[in-house]
Amino acid sequence: MSYQFLLEVLCEEIPANALAPARQQLAERFAALLAEAGIEGATVRALSTVRRLVVHLAGLPQRLPDRVETVTGPPARVAFAPDGSPTQAALGFARGQGVEVGELRVLAGPKGAVVAVTRTIEGRSTVALLADAVPGLVASLHFPKTMRWGGGEHTFVRPVHRVVALFGETRLDTAVPFQLFGVASGTTTLGHRVVAPQELDVRGVAGLEGYLARLAEAGVIVDQEVRRARLAAAIEALAAEVGCQVRPDAALVAEHVELVEYPGVARGGLAERFLALPEEVLVTTLRHHQKCLVLEREGRVAPFFLAVADRPDDPEGHVVRGNEWVAGARLADAEFFFQQDRRKSLADHGAGLDRLVFHQKVGSFAQKTEAVVQLAESLARQQEEGRVESVRRAARLAKADLVTAMVGEFPELQGIVGGIYAQLDGESEAVWQAIADQYRPAGLEGPIPRGVVGAILGVADRLDTLAALFAAGEVPTGSKDPFALRRAALAVVKICAEAPLPRVALQDAAAAAVALRAGDGELVHTLLEFLREREHYYLVTVAGVSTDVAAAVLGARWGVVVEDVARARALEGVREEPIFADLAQAFKRVRHMVAKAGAPVGGARRRSLVEPAELSLAEALGTLEKQVAGEVAAGRYGEALRLLAGMAAPLDRFFTDVLVLCEDEELRQARLSLLREVEALFLGIADLSCLAAGGDCGGRA
Amino acid sequence: MDLQTLILELSRFWSAQGCILQQPYDLEVGAGTMHPETFLRVLGPEPYRVAYVQPSRRPADARFGENPFRLGKHLQMQVILKPAPADVQELYRHSLAALGIDPAVHDLRFEEDNWESPTLGAWGVGWQVLLDGMEITQFTYFQQAGGIELAPVAAELTYGLERIAMFLGRRDSIYDVPWNGRVSYREVRHRDEVELSRYAFQVADVAMLERHFADWEREALRCLEAVDEAGTPDPLVVPALEATLKMSHLFNLLDARGAVAVTERVALITRVRRLAVRCAKAYLEQRQTMGFPLLANNGGAAARGGRSTGKNGHNGGAGGPASGPGREAHRRAANGSSRRAGRS
Repeated sequence: MSYQFLLEVLCEEIPANALAPARQQLAERFAALLAEAGIEGATVRALSTVRRLVVHLAGLPQRLPDRVETVTGPPARVAFAPDGSPTQAALGFARGQGVEVGELRVLAGPKGAVVAVTRTIEGRSTVALLADAVPGLVASLHFPKTMRWGGGEHTFVRPVHRVVALFGETRLDTAVPFQLFGVASGTTTLGHRVVAPQELDVRGVAGLEGYLARLAEAGVIVDQEVRRARLAAAIEALAAEVGCQVRPDAALVAEHVELVEYPGVARGGLAERFLALPEEVLVTTLRHHQKCLVLEREGRVAPFFLAVADRPDDPEGHVVRGNEWVAGARLADAEFFFQQDRRKSLADHGAGLDRLVFHQKVGSFAQKTEAVVQLAESLARQQEEGRVESVRRAARLAKADLVTAMVGEFPELQGIVGGIYAQLDGESEAVWQAIADQYRPAGLEGPIPRGVVGAILGVADRLDTLAALFAAGEVPTGSKDPFALRRAALAVVKICAEAPLPRVALQDAAAAAVALRAGDGELVHTLLEFLREREHYYLVTVAGVSTDVAAAVLGARWGVVVEDVARARALEGVREEPIFADLAQAFKRVRHMVAKAGAPVGGARRRSLVEPAELSLAEALGTLEKQVAGEVAAGRYGEALRLLAGMAAPLDRFFTDVLVLCEDEELRQARLSLLREVEALFLGIADLSCLAAGGDCGGRA
Repeated sequence: MDLQTLILELSRFWSAQGCILQQPYDLEVGAGTMHPETFLRVLGPEPYRVAYVQPSRRPADARFGENPFRLGKHLQMQVILKPAPADVQELYRHSLAALGIDPAVHDLRFEEDNWESPTLGAWGVGWQVLLDGMEITQFTYFQQAGGIELAPVAAELTYGLERIAMFLGRRDSIYDVPWNGRVSYREVRHRDEVELSRYAFQVADVAMLERHFADWEREALRCLEAVDEAGTPDPLVVPALEATLKMSHLFNLLDARGAVAVTERVALITRVRRLAVRCAKAYLEQRQTMGFPLLANNGGAAARGGRSTGKNGHNGGAGGPASGPGREAHRRAANGSSRRAGRS
C-alpha cells in the first residue's frame, strides 16, 4: 500500500527567475527529508506557477519503518550475582526502563558483557513527519531576493496566503496540519486571479492528476511543462495563421512560462510605418518593454507581434487592443528617439563624448576615442595596410552612439545603433559593421566581429580599456572585477585566435596600448600576465586542451594566439603516445640540468665532445634542427612534434652513458651547451617538462 | 474617462478604504516617496492610510512638449496602506473596477519590479502592475526607509495618472488626454512643459543651483540640531526634510543641466541621503517621545482596514516609483546611478 502527499503554497506573484531554482530546491530537500526518514522508493515532483509552489510525493508508507532500540545498562557481572540472580543494579535498571527484570538481555559491550533492554519503537505516521518538517523546509528555501510583510515577522519570496497539505492513499483526503508563516494549512486554495478567483476545496482529489485537473478547471495549469508545450503550440499556430514564423527567443518564452498560471497568446498588428525603423530597434523595443515575440516572413520582420497573456482567452478583445496600443506607443517613442538622433550624423553625435566620463581617473570617452584610434591604427599598419583608413574611421565613430537618445533608452543596443546610424550616414560596410560588432564577442560562446576592421577595433578598444584601467589601479582581484576586465581580456584572446588576423603579437599590442596611457614597463608586464592567464583559460575552455598542455605551450612562448592554439592542439593530439611521456621525462632532466648550470660560459666547443652517446645526440640535433624549424615555420606543429620524438632515444642514451658534470671544465661546458641547444629546439614548440607525466614545469622552477 | 474623473474616482475609492485624502505636497519632489506623508509615516509602528495626487518633477525626462509620452512633470496617485492588509492585491483590483475596468475580461499581471532609492536609504519589493500589457501601477512593499527597517510593512500603490488616462482613452499623445469634458491636457500643461524643459536644459543657473544645494544642506543641519529654550535637542523634523527635498530637486536640475560629473554624483547623493536618514531617525524618536499617538488612538481601526484619523498637521508622502513616464528615469534621477557608468 502506498500513500501520497500534496503541498501547495499559494503566494502573491513570485518573480519568474525565482521559480526554477525553487522547484529544484523543493525536489532536493523533500528527497533528502525522505531519505533521512528511511523512506525508500518514493518519488518527488516539484511544480510551480507564478502564484504557487507545489510538491507531490508518491510511494510513501503510511507509517515510518519501526526502529529497534537497545539501551545498555550496568555490566553483567554487577547486575547478576554469581548464582545468576539479579542484583539491585539489575532490578533498578529494569525498573528505570519500565520492563520486567526477566526481559533483560546480556550483550557483549566494548568493556565486557552488559545488561540491555531491546525494544521495538513503532514508526511514527508519515503525516506527523510531514507536519513537523514541511514548515522548516519551505522556510529554508533560498531566493534571489526576499521580503517581509504584515507585521514584518516572516521572510519569504512573497507573502503566503494559503497552504494546502493533503495525504492519502488513492484520494488525498487527510489534512496534514501545520502552520507556515502564520498560515494554517488546510484543504482549500484559490483559482486563477481573474478567470476563476473563487475558493476551491481540493480535499479528496484523486492524487496529483486529480489535483491538476481540478486546478485546470479553475484556470490554472500547475505543471510548467504543460504550460511550456501549450505556449509553444499557441505561438506556432498564431504565427502560421498569418503565414509567418516566430523569431526564436527561447529565453523569453521560458520566462513567459514562469510568469503565468494559464498561458494565452494574443496576436497584435503593427502599423506599417514602424517597419521602417531599424529592425534591431523594433525588436528590442517590443522585447524589452513588452516581452513581445516578433514574427517574420522570409527573414524580414512582419507587421505582427505576439503578446503572452495570463488567461486562455480574450473575451472582449481588450488583451489584443491593449497590447497593440502599448506596442504602438512604445514604437512611436522609439521612432521619436530615432528621428531625433537622425537630425545629426553619428560623427556629430561624437562631439558629445567629451562630456561622457569613461572612468573618473582616466577621463572621458572623447579621450578614449583618441587612444583607440591611435592603437587601432598602429595595429592596422602591422596587419592590414590597405584597411588603415577604415580602421581609423571605425575607431573614430565607435563610441559616438553612447550619447544618442536611442542608446540612452536601450543601453543593450550600444554598438548596434552606432552601426545602423553609420550605415545610414553612408559609411562603408567595413566601417559600419566594425562599429556594430565592436562589443562582440559577448562571452566565450558569442560570435566575433564579422570583418578584419571589426576585429582590429575590438582588440584595440579592449586593450585600451585594460591599459587605461590598469593604469588607474583598477586591476581585478579575486571576485572583484567591476569593469569586467577579465571578460575584456578573454575577448581579446578570442578575437586574436579566431579572426583572420595572422600575426598579432600581444606583447607588441599591449606595449603600444600601455604607452598610449602613459604606463611603464611594469604595467606592461602586469597586463601581459593578465592576458596570459586569459589565454590559458581560452586554451583549456575553448580549444579544449588539458591544463598541462596549455601550460607547456604557453611556457615555451606565447602571444601570437593563433599559433599558440595550433601548437596546443598539436601537442594535445600526440601527448597520450608513450614516446611523449619518455620525451617529457628526458626534457625535464634537460631543463633541470641547464637551469642548475647557470649562465653559459664562452668557448664551449662542440668538437670537445667525445662519448658516442653525446656525439649521436649532437648528430640527431643537427639533423632535426632544420627540419623542425621548417615544420614550425609552416605551422605544422604536429609534424614538428613527431620529429622531436626522434630525440627520445638519443637523449635517453645520453643520460645513461654520459656524466654531464664531469671534471673537465671544457668538456662539461660543451655538454651543457649541447643541452641548451636541445632545450631551445624543444621550446620552439612547447615546454614538455610541464606535461603531467613529467611533473612540474622543470625549467621554470 | 477624463483625467479629473480618474482622480476623483480613485480618491473616492481609497477614501472609502479609510485613507486620509491629502493634498499634493507644496514642494518640488521627484517622487512621492520623498515626501513626509510617505517617507515619515511609513516609519515606526503607527498605522496610517493616506491617498493623494502628487505632481512629480523629473527635469531630465522633460522633452520640450515634443514627445507624446514623456513629461518633466507628471501626476501620480499615491496610496499608502500601513500596515499592508493581507488583501491589498484584492483592494487594488477593486480600485480598477472603480475605474470601470473589469479585471475578469482583461489580462492583469503583477510582474516583479523592485524599487530602491539611494537618496532616501529606502528600498522595497514589489511589482509593476500590467493591464493588457500596459504598466498602470507600481506596487511596492516598503522594506526600509531612511536606513530603518520597517515593521509593520506598508504597501505603496502609485498610479501613473497620465498613462492610465491615455490608455483608457486610447490616446496617442499625453497632450490629447481630456482634462475634463472641455479642456485638454495640452491646453492646461503644454506651455509649461516647454518652458520647464528650456529651463532645465538651457537656462537654469548652475552656480546658483550649486550654491543653494549647499545652503539648504546647512539649513537642514541647523533644523536637525535645533534646541528648545532649555537647550535640549529638539530637532525640527519637517523643516529639515523640506530642506533635504529641496536639495534633491536641485540635484535633479543640475543633473538635467549636465552639470553633475560622474565623479561628483555619488558624493552629492550621499549628502542628500545622510540628511534623509537623520530626518527619519529624528522623526521616529519624536513619535516615540509622543508615545506613538496614532497607535493608541486609532491603531486597531486602521489595522483592520477601518478609518484612521491622523492629525492634519503635516503633509503627506509623494509617490515613490512612478508608473507612467519614467520609473527608470526616476531611478536615474533620484538615485543618480548613471546607466553609462561602467560601460566601457
